[in-house]
Amino acid sequence: MSKPVQTPLGRTARLLDLVPFLASHQGIELKALSDNFNVTESQMVADLTTLWMCGLPGYTPLELMDLSFESGFVTIHNAETLSNPRALNDEEIIALLLGLDIVMASLPSDRNDLKLLAVDLIKQLSIRSSIPSKMSAVPATPGSVRAIIESSLIEKRGVEILYHSSYSDEISRRIVIPIELRQENGFEYLWGVCQSAHALRSFRLDRIQEAVVKSTSIDAVPVTATEPSQGISYTIHAHSRPRQVIERFAINKEAFTANLQVVSFSTEWIKRSVLASAGSVEVVEPPTIRSEILHSAQSLLARYQGR
Amino acid sequence: MSRKIERLINLTIALLATKRYLTKSEIFRSVDGYEGSEETKERMFERDKDDLRNLGVAIEVGSFDPVFEDEAGYRIKPEKYSLDLGELSGVQIALLSLAAEAWRGAALDAPAHNALTKLRSVGVESDLDALPAIAPRFNPAHKDFQIITNAISKRARISFSYVSSNLEIQLRTIEPFAIATRDSFWYLAGNDVEKSQTRSFRLDRIEGDISISKANQGYEIPDGFDLFAHFESQELPEIATVDLRKGKAQLLRTSALTTSDMGEWDRITTRYIDAERFIELVLWHGEDALIIEPESLKKQIIAKLNEIVARHV
Repeated sequence: MSKPVQTPLGRTARLLDLVPFLASHQGIELKALSDNFNVTESQMVADLTTLWMCGLPGYTPLELMDLSFESGFVTIHNAETLSNPRALNDEEIIALLLGLDIVMASLPSDRNDLKLLAVDLIKQLSIRSSIPSKMSAVPATPGSVRAIIESSLIEKRGVEILYHSSYSDEISRRIVIPIELRQENGFEYLWGVCQSAHALRSFRLDRIQEAVVKSTSIDAVPVTATEPSQGISYTIHAHSRPRQVIERFAINKEAFTANLQVVSFSTEWIKRSVLASAGSVEVVEPPTIRSEILHSAQSLLARYQGR
Repeated sequence: MSRKIERLINLTIALLATKRYLTKSEIFRSVDGYEGSEETKERMFERDKDDLRNLGVAIEVGSFDPVFEDEAGYRIKPEKYSLDLGELSGVQIALLSLAAEAWRGAALDAPAHNALTKLRSVGVESDLDALPAIAPRFNPAHKDFQIITNAISKRARISFSYVSSNLEIQLRTIEPFAIATRDSFWYLAGNDVEKSQTRSFRLDRIEGDISISKANQGYEIPDGFDLFAHFESQELPEIATVDLRKGKAQLLRTSALTTSDMGEWDRITTRYIDAERFIELVLWHGEDALIIEPESLKKQIIAKLNEIVARHV
């Protein structure tokens, strides 16, 4: 949620937006109103009190806005001049344009009707903005999968997912008892208890290909305690392209030296990452992983040269 | 503080309600809150005008009779002040609400929420039931994201430290054109002032603060500039043929143009633009993916494999 703006200008903007909101939500509860504007109830009362002193020149009760909020419910009258919502500013339009783009990418393919509506809204918003460039958003996770995960969290039910594990390069079907959605390193993960592993696991949302909410309720599932997985410690030497290396191996830039100590939970992942670094990274230790990488590269070479 | 806010609101109401331009003396006489000497009132009014303009309220200056040099007058045209997106249906409001919701907890949460408040004030009930269940969400981006959008709307230059491919920190000054996101990464594109070239930057490679210039404002954004199209149009995609072990190499399969069954293997064709990145993706799949064509790509991957072997013998 946005932070409440307390500068005089921020408050003025809020008051200008408060009037049309009240005019279209007569009798709204003070609490709901405060929540919508992300301020405390006492701040909202202060805002309403200020508004009460405003109106058309003359400033007799005939011209002043008529507000009532003592009962805990807020109504406004005599505020026609300000009752239309203000035009959207460029930043609000940027937010909506990017938002519509990501919504469009999430619509199922058979809802072309909604896509056309969204395209039309994008056109209408673009005309009203002073920015001539295009803002585009391609989501990593289909919004439909995300909605199913969210509803399984809300309903506290298990969710069956078709998951592509990039480490093992396998697609598997699993039932997960969801715990929460978490943002890590710029990706969104579903944390939950994986029923086939009987352990706490995290799943990158963009690798979930399908999801279905199950009827299993959370209490019905035996949750075994998870043992902390043992990390594999290994040392790599970065020969070139250092930025790519720190991004691929998630190394802090400040900690970067040619020889790096890294920990991973999967040998498979280490091997894949080193191969994909295409010669810019060498595994120094342990010797087993080093020789496995050598072996893979040699057998690939043999295949290429044998053809 | 309250007095100033009251005065700004009252000024807005007066300038919106008037059908003709109001002169300064009329404003001082009729709008509540202008007090003190003539000079004080003038100063107050100048500041108030700037403040309202900063809030995006367009105050028009005009005179009663253009033939004679009358005293200048002021008004706010209701059609410029008010939100107007044409007739909005409940389904459209619902789409816009989802668009705003996508920012929850992310960079443009505040402007998206403000936009939503304005849209909810139109008085059209959002018809969320007409939409399928989707809940797209933006990933958090750089903490100074809003400085970039602010700069784009003001046409102001921004400066930041950027981590180059060899981990050098470079100070960049950019006239930003657009922001965009793809596959969890956020990008910014604009004119690199020093290089005089359009460049793109990944926001997670920006270190520390982004600063906005107050002095250099007012550059032009190319009409219709599209970040992804701009950088992609520079190179044409090429087609590669790759053999994939059955049931493996999912990431390559998702982009396959054609697939043919070859028994233990499947032969696919796929598009690629950047040969180096494509080779990295093929190498990620180890012994489950082999490039068949083109010959140039095969030569490159063999060179890379020789390099890997040399590093590990």
